[in-house]
Amino acid sequence: MELDAEDLIARIRARDADAFEALYDAHHRLVYGVAMRMLGDAAAAEDVTQSVFLKVWSSPDLFRSGNFSAWIVRVTRNRALDVLRSRNSHPEVELPEALPESDALEDVAFANLDATAVRAALETLPPEQRAPIELGFFGGITHDEIARRTGIPLGTIKTRIRMGLRKLRATLEGAVTV
Amino acid sequence: MNASHDAMLDDVAVYALGTMNAADAARVQEHLRTCAECRAEYEALAPSASAVGLSAEACANAETGAVTVSPLLKARLMREVRRDAASSPVVARGGSWGTYLVAAACLAVAVWTSFVNISLNHQLHGAQATLAATQTTIADLTSAHAQRFAVNGGEIVRVHGRIYLAMHDMPQPPRGKVYQAWTLPKGAKTMRPSLTFVPDAHGTALVALPVNAALTSAVAVSVEPAGGSKQPTSKPVLVEQLG
Ligand SMILES: [Zn+2]
Repeated sequence: MELDAEDLIARIRARDADAFEALYDAHHRLVYGVAMRMLGDAAAAEDVTQSVFLKVWSSPDLFRSGNFSAWIVRVTRNRALDVLRSRNSHPEVELPEALPESDALEDVAFANLDATAVRAALETLPPEQRAPIELGFFGGITHDEIARRTGIPLGTIKTRIRMGLRKLRATLEGAVTV
Repeated sequence: MNASHDAMLDDVAVYALGTMNAADAARVQEHLRTCAECRAEYEALAPSASAVGLSAEACANAETGAVTVSPLLKARLMREVRRDAASSPVVARGGSWGTYLVAAACLAVAVWTSFVNISLNHQLHGAQATLAATQTTIADLTSAHAQRFAVNGGEIVRVHGRIYLAMHDMPQPPRGKVYQAWTLPKGAKTMRPSLTFVPDAHGTALVALPVNAALTSAVAVSVEPAGGSKQPTSKPVLVEQLG
């Protein structure tokens, strides 16, 4: 269940450290989990977690409104992409462009989702849809690179990603508890 | 057009997932600006893409064998945050502050007209450029990092190495007189002359002081003859130690 992140952010703006602590308690496992999944090492994931939360503390206005979990996932993913970029020993391999963080995701339909529900929904996807979605989101590689590595035609990869995201949405809409 | 537009809808999904290179992402962004159908698709799919991220949440339960987050990380963060919170003065946020700022920032170029000290000139050019960047001024004045020192008739705002006098309730100086700001460099014993200014009819004045905040320990304002003085000729109307 989502704490009222907007209230906490408002208090953080007024330099309320207790509000920051509550926000950290509610979201650090998400931030760390995304970073860990993308970077595969605990020290780097901790560094990213620390920098994401310090950014929230120093610039709470970056979050405007909408689904806080979705927003902080983006911030975390973008930060982890920076780390991957700095590590990239094959500069000929292009890394994905960062997701815009300013795009307020007003869609709060998924605000009450928990990780278990999403994992269950991902399980329902056919593997040929699930694989490029997870690889694309967490792997820090572009869909071109996925196509190149798997030998599957680029257009097919794209269509599978789209079909997969649509199915995920339909499944999650059924899973949302209000 | 339909087949190629289907391909575009696929691209929108890939864009929502965030796995495009920069050039492709820019192309899709451009298209989203003009195509309602694709925008609707993006809005439908972006939350699913974010949801994929949610699936990675680390489990709090060590028994499951899932990774747990080191409590040392939280201890480190909270130490830093609490120290920072303790050093930030309480921020007063009035409801009309935003409106005031916009007005004040637009006004800023007009209010500080006369310069006192020729030797300040090169600094003043820099300060003028800063002030011309109205957006910077507004961003500074609304920044969560801003330290605000309440003074009679307004406040002194210190942020990102800059110092502003943000006055909202300042009486007009006597005829033929102006207000003049003074700054005390760290380690110095005497105030240095700074800008002169006159508030508008509502008592509003916004002045960006041409000093480095990190090297300035106090700010004062006094009433001076038009054109300013090299040394204060009257008792200051405000003096504030910036600590
Ligand atoms: Zn379109």
